[in-house]
Amino acid sequence: MNDKRTEIFEIIRDTSTLPTLPGIVTRLQALSENRKSTIQEMAQLVSSDQILSARVLRLVNSPSYGFYRVSTISNALILLGVNVIKSLALSSSIFEIMEKTIVGLWEHSLGAGVAANIIARRLKLPEVEEISTAALLHDIGKVIIKEKCPEDYARVAMLMERKGLAMLDAERELLGTDHAEVGEWLVRSWYLPDKLSEPVACHHDVARSSTHQVKTAVVHLADVLVKASGFGFSGDEYVPQIQPEAWQRLGMTEGDLVAIVEELEDRLIETKNFSLEIQAVDEI
Amino acid sequence: MRSDLRIAIVANEKRGDGNIELRLQSKGYQVVTLTTPSSVMGFIYSDPPDVILMDLSSPDEAFLGIIRSLKDDFFFSTIPVIGMMPEPAAEFFDWDEYPLDDFVTFPLNFRELFTRIVLSLRRLRRVFDNNPLTRLPGNTSIQRAIEQTVGKPMAVCYVDINHFKQYNDVYGFAHGDEVLRMLGRIMSNAVKDAGDGFAGHIGGDDFVFIVPFDQAEVVAGRIIANFTAVVSELFNEEEKRNGFFLAHDRKGNEEKVPLMGVAIAIVPTDSPKIGHYAKVAEVAAELKTLAKQSHKSCFVVDRRKY
Repeated sequence: MNDKRTEIFEIIRDTSTLPTLPGIVTRLQALSENRKSTIQEMAQLVSSDQILSARVLRLVNSPSYGFYRVSTISNALILLGVNVIKSLALSSSIFEIMEKTIVGLWEHSLGAGVAANIIARRLKLPEVEEISTAALLHDIGKVIIKEKCPEDYARVAMLMERKGLAMLDAERELLGTDHAEVGEWLVRSWYLPDKLSEPVACHHDVARSSTHQVKTAVVHLADVLVKASGFGFSGDEYVPQIQPEAWQRLGMTEGDLVAIVEELEDRLIETKNFSLEIQAVDEI
Repeated sequence: MRSDLRIAIVANEKRGDGNIELRLQSKGYQVVTLTTPSSVMGFIYSDPPDVILMDLSSPDEAFLGIIRSLKDDFFFSTIPVIGMMPEPAAEFFDWDEYPLDDFVTFPLNFRELFTRIVLSLRRLRRVFDNNPLTRLPGNTSIQRAIEQTVGKPMAVCYVDINHFKQYNDVYGFAHGDEVLRMLGRIMSNAVKDAGDGFAGHIGGDDFVFIVPFDQAEVVAGRIIANFTAVVSELFNEEEKRNGFFLAHDRKGNEEKVPLMGVAIAIVPTDSPKIGHYAKVAEVAAELKTLAKQSHKSCFVVDRRKY
């Protein structure tokens, strides 16, 4: 069993085929964290990437925003807001390595990002953006398994079907590892900070997180809520229970949960539009 | 959410169990059951309930007509109507013709019913209050937000666009709407960047944002700079060079109108004279007159001590 795990990690470790996080995302992140940076600096950075520029302009001129003639990147940045640009850059670069066939997983990830944002704001947690990013990345391991080991991925799907297993259990049985571990490994190899890799690693086992317990609990909850809402498709239909540790660590009431679910319902409609826009941009 | 909600049940005949009423009453709701279709509208018009539950297990035209007339009247369309029907009926229900807000299926799951009642009320309140053009919260939310800031070190900031009306007249309302959407985005992005805050749309070219007082000038400055940058795309080279566009006044005379800008009135809410929502608006109106005098983008802070 462990041999399989080693084999998978060796395949993924092959750096020549390891997808890298484009520099533009990290630089955008750094720039937006610096309060002194200006829209012009950010616009210059975005303009250095033609594909991202095209996406930004296409998005800002899309009917959902109702602007008819925005022609400069800096004005697009002003109107869309830095956060939209950041998530556009991150989601489009990460999902560049995904095929169209797993658009459901992409939507699941976007939805989890949105849910985590709502939860973090509702509970007035610090570092809302980081929490959303961690949620956006939480299933990145599935992408890598599918891209790098397509045969194993297909066997996992078959095993799920045959034994009626959840994806996580099928992965563990067949591969001796799971998408959470693979994702953690990948995120670490991108040198992203612990506050991102730990929630990715522990989103199915909140109790195991040690340093970033609250962030991990939010990502776990976001994953469950998006699955329960039926938005996107993460690989299987099972909606896991919200783990008691998550409730406890977030100090959340049932009233909070109702309010979160309610806001999520609205925001997922917007997210669906966003997803369709991005897919449309890919077709130009 | 209040617990003394007033709920009207509209049913063909009293369902034998009377269970629904009891369960709703046990939640603290006031319940009235209406069975004769002819009396329903009279009752609702004279004493509108908060929520209407309608038994559609054997839908009849009179009942369906009630839904339609309620939803056609903007005054009553904010009352959520929840249909109760057997599950198979839901799939084939004509939602366009009879615009229900939600439904539950028989046999009733009361916990679900309670949740749907509360949810439908909140959803309608939210949807009705948001400005359809900018999707920003509208006047009810604005009033609530302002009331919460009275006495705190916050600032309520009123924003409007200089020369918007003339722009709208010359370039058409579709482009005018675009300008309003732009200002809405610019404002809410600037508020978001500042951390905690609120952005709302009063209507037309009148907007409001609320931020901590010590950030108000920075946010106002950013809104002005960003609006100026974006608006420059809306005029042609010649207009930009001249600094004005041509319009006609009421008498048909050509006039030179300066390019659009924003005027912002910043009202601190911890001053002793601000004890009430209406007072905030009054002070803002005075300031805005001041801010608009220059015809250029600017903000004015109320620093008067009383």
